[in-house]
Amino acid sequence: MAFGIEAEKEVIMKANKKDVLTGSYYIDGDVAAAYGAIAAGCKFVGGYPITPSTEAFEAFVHRAPYVGGITIQMEDELGSIASILGAVWSGKKAMTITSGPGFSLMMENIGLGAMLETPFVLLNVQRSGPSTGLPTQAGQADMMQSRWGANGDYEIIAISPDSPQEMFDYTIKAFNLSEKYRCPVMIMADECVGHMTEKVVVPEADKINIEPRRFYKGPKEKYLPFKPDKDLVPPMAKAGDGYKLHISGLTHDEKGYPTFSQTPDTKRLVDKIRLNADKIIELNEDEIDDADVVVVSYGITSRVAIRGIEQARAKGLKVGNLRLVTVWPFPEKRIAELSKKVKAFVVPEINYGQIVYEVERCAHGNANVVLVPHGGGFVHNPEDIFKAIKYAAQEKKKVEGIIEHKTELYRLIHEKNS
Amino acid sequence: MAKKKIEPHPMENILRMDRIPHIWCPACGIGTAVTSFASALEKLKVNLDEVCVVSGIGCTGRVAGYTKVDSFHTTHGRAIAYATGVKLGNPKMKVIVFSGDGDIIAIGGNHFMHAARRNIDITVICVNNFIYAMTGGQVAPTTPLTAYATTSPFGNIEPPYNIPRLAEACGAVYVARWTALHVRRLTNSIVEAIQKPGFSVVEVISPCAQYYSRINRLGDGLDMMRFYHDNAVIKHNEPTENLDIDYQKQIIMGKFIDREKPTYIERYNEWLSESKPKKK
Amino acid sequence: MKIHPLFSTFANAVKKAEIESDKICLVSDFLYQPKISEYLGFDLFHVTRGRSIPFATGMKLGNPKLKVVVFVGDLITLGGNHFMHASRRNMDIVVICVNNFLYPKINGKKSPTIKSAFSPYSVFERPVNIPHVARSSRAVYVARWTALHKKELTESMTRALGKSGFSVIEVISPGNCYFAGIPASPKENELIEFYHKNSEIKNDEDTKNVEITAEKKIIVGKFFEKKRPTYIDSYNERHSKVIGDKFKIYE
Repeated sequence: MAFGIEAEKEVIMKANKKDVLTGSYYIDGDVAAAYGAIAAGCKFVGGYPITPSTEAFEAFVHRAPYVGGITIQMEDELGSIASILGAVWSGKKAMTITSGPGFSLMMENIGLGAMLETPFVLLNVQRSGPSTGLPTQAGQADMMQSRWGANGDYEIIAISPDSPQEMFDYTIKAFNLSEKYRCPVMIMADECVGHMTEKVVVPEADKINIEPRRFYKGPKEKYLPFKPDKDLVPPMAKAGDGYKLHISGLTHDEKGYPTFSQTPDTKRLVDKIRLNADKIIELNEDEIDDADVVVVSYGITSRVAIRGIEQARAKGLKVGNLRLVTVWPFPEKRIAELSKKVKAFVVPEINYGQIVYEVERCAHGNANVVLVPHGGGFVHNPEDIFKAIKYAAQEKKKVEGIIEHKTELYRLIHEKNS
Repeated sequence: MAKKKIEPHPMENILRMDRIPHIWCPACGIGTAVTSFASALEKLKVNLDEVCVVSGIGCTGRVAGYTKVDSFHTTHGRAIAYATGVKLGNPKMKVIVFSGDGDIIAIGGNHFMHAARRNIDITVICVNNFIYAMTGGQVAPTTPLTAYATTSPFGNIEPPYNIPRLAEACGAVYVARWTALHVRRLTNSIVEAIQKPGFSVVEVISPCAQYYSRINRLGDGLDMMRFYHDNAVIKHNEPTENLDIDYQKQIIMGKFIDREKPTYIERYNEWLSESKPKKK
Repeated sequence: MKIHPLFSTFANAVKKAEIESDKICLVSDFLYQPKISEYLGFDLFHVTRGRSIPFATGMKLGNPKLKVVVFVGDLITLGGNHFMHASRRNMDIVVICVNNFLYPKINGKKSPTIKSAFSPYSVFERPVNIPHVARSSRAVYVARWTALHKKELTESMTRALGKSGFSVIEVISPGNCYFAGIPASPKENELIEFYHKNSEIKNDEDTKNVEITAEKKIIVGKFFEKKRPTYIDSYNERHSKVIGDKFKIYE
């Protein structure tokens, strides 16, 4: 189990005992995420109720007064994300929680967060869309939006947990990553994971590693808010400490002053994630080494896929399982490497094709890419994934582009319509 | 046995009977508000083809799904902005925004303010049940102080909005408030509001037996109705600053504002005729 | 560099109010002068359009010791909702709303506070009466001055800075040259003269009557002042009452 990232510094900080409710619980994923956030030292949540993420906000509100935190239910999602950016700059760890259309409203300030290199965590419990869509049912169609939603060039980190236990663990990891790289980190859960009730084990506080905020320690006059250290991440200062901060969403130089042309700092927003990608990416691999077909999946779909893979293995097919724990940055190298060894990738996801484009891009035409699409609402039928694997294993010729596997549901709807 | 002839519902021409039963909980006040709205339309004898209902998201947001006129179920908070577009696109339409307190005052507060300022000719029926009911009982900008909700588990600390006052300050021309118990007066108010050119607001205080009453242990819908019966007083033309609603205290109802102001379209036409280049 | 008179006024007010300059944070959604933070010694945050008030809300809640001041142009357009709700909650921030009837940076596009005589673009839109909206949303301090009333403005700012709660000061300022029927690029004294002729001090005037119209003079003054617990006060009070000893006062 991964509790936090490996600390590279001499000082390893552990979670505060007061913040960690050590024990074993039977709770849903949303609540587990709230517990994880508190364990990670989050003291502020600005939120707005939206199904299916509300439970996480509620759980946080209930616990906050006991751990020295504060919460506010803002008037809308625009306000809730702007408020957490403010709270981070005045020194707190902060998170916001949303879903579906609320996520769309937040885009502008995600851009601001990336521009100001503000560490914050955004929990998006994905529902089906577009627009209001199916508020109480699962979807995975915000994956590209999480990466490309705001205007301009930037990189974010996105994690996709697949169980309440992981909601707890990876919320902590998300906070650690955001502090380490000073960037927005998104937890791209889905309704199934959010509302799934399972056993969650909260370990003791001294088993949880916490990445402390990297505050600047040198002389105040010399502080440059956007001057990076060797790992491309600048140390942070907070408001009210006499640094005379000048923090602006305009393209700025190291001092934070607006410039009228691109600066190396803008490139750094991208580079600090891309060049550190190997350290950030976490993958779960299973029987990949001699596989003919590799199933690439994330979130709840990765749990559904296991059944399909088992069925295929029972028939003697060599199937590997590659689960993306961090979806962004995308594991380009690993997919490219695998594409030379395997016949095909099978990508099931609860949308009509998003991450599959990344897989296809990284496969460089070396292997076939089969998409198992699924409209929002329910999860896949494992049978469909099995059939896609079977097809992928049998297909001898190289097919250009993405092969769309027609699922049972797809056929049902399609035949009905025609 | 001969088949019993089923009598048509008296409001069949206004409500979408194929979508009944509706989703609202027993003892909810939204149904009453819809009935009042339907009877208001009957009273007005308007051409139903020229009526349009725009709703946002939430329990009241579902109203658009049950009215048999052109109805739009839009995004959260944007009902008024959407309605503005409908009205400007076709000034003949009678546009009614039917939505809840969270939708209109919280996320849509800015649109509310600006539509009132511009005096767009729409009617806003705002059902105020003091809570976000669709998402399961979160605190709303209208939740009275100290009332409980799932996101104010220790009692609400935010002073609530007084909707009539806000509407007046922003420039609404007609402002009234009734509870779900005062059906006849509510109906009359809706009739007046629809007839009034300009931005008119009718606030409907509604019981929420499932969340607000349950979380605060105020009994069921009937108890809330009794509460309205005992505690609601009619005071027409009361200054809007006195209309704050405290937790389980008196509710002042009535018609508070009724004034004349040129609407956006009138001003626009006036400007057009003034600024036409004079022919030489 | 010449500092905008508004900022020098503000700096004087901070000095008068005897607040440690390190604790002052300026949040704005339009950047007026890039080096202002260095000259004045405050932290300055320039955020997305219209979102300065929620950003300030977060800052204040993140560290209640800060004195957060929001400098905005016509804040009512995009941020109207945030304004109303922060005011209702009584977030402890000072809002200095610089109203020059136009967005200064977007040449002469209309903003919601213009009135017919001021611009040919917006004849048919009613302006927002900012003090009245602030008062109706229960701000604890509401005042309006023009840039001409420097002494009174300094006093108002000092008062607002010393007060806890949502305070709103509307400053009618000669930001640019697109109003009042004055031809492009007027001299500063022309504008000052315009204010002198067209403004009238009426303290404690009912905010209903202070709408800016072409027909009457601009009414300025301190309109309203009241005391009310702030969001953080209510939070502490309510939670210590309900939770008891387990609750640590948030500060």
